[in-house]
Amino acid sequence: MTSASEPLAVARPRRDILLGVAILAVALVYVRALAFTPIEARQGAAQKILYIHATAAFIALYVAFALMAISSILYLWLKDEKLDRVAESAAEVGLAFTTVVLLTGPLWGKTIWGAWWTWDARLTSTLFLWFLIVAYSLLRGAVEDRGRRARYAAVLGILAAMLVPFIHLSVYLFRTLHPMPILLKPSAPSMPAEMQVTFFSAFVAFVLLFAALLRARYRIATLRDLVASREQERA
Amino acid sequence: MTPDNGGFATAAYLLAALVYGAYVVSLKLRERRLRERLSRLESHATASNRAAGA
Repeated sequence: MTSASEPLAVARPRRDILLGVAILAVALVYVRALAFTPIEARQGAAQKILYIHATAAFIALYVAFALMAISSILYLWLKDEKLDRVAESAAEVGLAFTTVVLLTGPLWGKTIWGAWWTWDARLTSTLFLWFLIVAYSLLRGAVEDRGRRARYAAVLGILAAMLVPFIHLSVYLFRTLHPMPILLKPSAPSMPAEMQVTFFSAFVAFVLLFAALLRARYRIATLRDLVASREQERA
Repeated sequence: MTPDNGGFATAAYLLAALVYGAYVVSLKLRERRLRERLSRLESHATASNRAAGA
């Protein structure tokens, strides 16, 4: 268990190698997706939005918010501030990925459905989750006491993450405009091999980006707590 | 016939790059600000300790 008085150490990276590798990987995926991946016959080039939209959705829902929920549960049990920092960092990075999902989706929707937005179960529940994570960030900024802030945020984080299975199942439970999964499904993927290579390359590149952003955000949370401890000592 | 909607794909990729890029910049700025604040606090603490020891 760590406490406010326990010394914190934050290593200063000379160069963030992981972030550099992740940015390079994402740039290569952009080139492969836009220039070297075939255009789908019925949807046209707009189908390529899938490589950034679906990967961002997968990482936000099943990696970032899952990590936020697990860290929050463990925090409530162990009261380790490191777990609270992991939850806080995963939530914020997940919010960035969900923002990409909500911005790129309408661009695909406009050209394929003829509408920027539709209030169907998948889209509405994803937007609701985005608002919940914004509320989570606001809550963290509103409570000054570290212990209380971590406890309240953990509860809200766990409740918000409970929406993830609903979002996943929404296309099966309701009549929605959102397409059914073409890769994450019990049967074989309905996508040509060349497109699958681009999709999985994008997935690896964005997982690397997620890891780099999570590490950078965790460093900020540690630094902020260290500054708060020093200010408390000075007061 | 394949629709001509390459502009939507390009816009989506640009928008995604903008969001991720802006987030990376915000992380770097926040980290730099906190490091500066921390070094100010530590230099102040060192100066106070020296004054107390003298």
